[in-house]
Amino acid sequence: MASLIHCPHCGSRPKEEFSIRGDASLVRPSPSASDEEWHRYVHIRDNPKGRYKEHWHHAFGCRRWLVVERDNFTHEVFSVTDAAEAAKAVQA
Amino acid sequence: MNYVHRHVLEDLITGFEGSSNPHHLAVLKRPTVFSVLARPGREADARNVLANLQGVSVRISGPGEWLVVSEDVAIDSLARTLQDSGTGLFDAVDQSDGRVVLRLSGPQVRKILAKCLAVDLHADAFPVGASAATQCCHAAANLARTDQDTFELVVSRSFAGFVFEEILEMGREFAMTAGFSAG
Repeated sequence: MASLIHCPHCGSRPKEEFSIRGDASLVRPSPSASDEEWHRYVHIRDNPKGRYKEHWHHAFGCRRWLVVERDNFTHEVFSVTDAAEAAKAVQA
Repeated sequence: MNYVHRHVLEDLITGFEGSSNPHHLAVLKRPTVFSVLARPGREADARNVLANLQGVSVRISGPGEWLVVSEDVAIDSLARTLQDSGTGLFDAVDQSDGRVVLRLSGPQVRKILAKCLAVDLHADAFPVGASAATQCCHAAANLARTDQDTFELVVSRSFAGFVFEEILEMGREFAMTAGFSAG
């Protein structure tokens, strides 16, 4: 099955247990950023084909937010990390 | 004033009181269920304390999160035990009225569960004592293997009727019976 996601906490699970929030590569602008910048952050999205980072919520399992890096064309999953860990890695 | 305890599945089970078949769905009448959440950084200590509790079964429900289920220990007494042993380590909340515990048993129980569960239940992948938070019949459920051919599902009270009927439907080919557990 192409749609198995390997949750770092629960193991291999079907995609039905998850809900997808969207792009995980966006960085929240500073509170004083321009309206244009905030508009881009809140509303403007690319629609890429290929390798893509997304926030997935394991709603029916551990209820943790995950960052799933996958190819949305071939459904290949490259990595799955807990969003908290991913955020720490970005801050470090 | 007296409050009469009435199980949420009581209406669904009336009329099923025959002798049980090899494949049987037992509903625990008054289980004790607590959810436990570890304080940040104290997950390993919390897990050790929980593992040493007597008369309870600890099920994984997430990282640093567990369900503590018991058939024998009373709610009040487990609440005290968790409060005393968990100071600074974890917090526990009583879920006994909010969760329903279903126990499925029988030689083909894995075949029945495979119709609605996406977890690998082979003994190598899911041995006795293993547990998982997952989805059963489209409802969130906590699954645990308590014996080679016995599984326990903990589902929320509001979904219990639906899950109960679905499991009976799936167990029909094995003549699955249902009833409240004797204990």
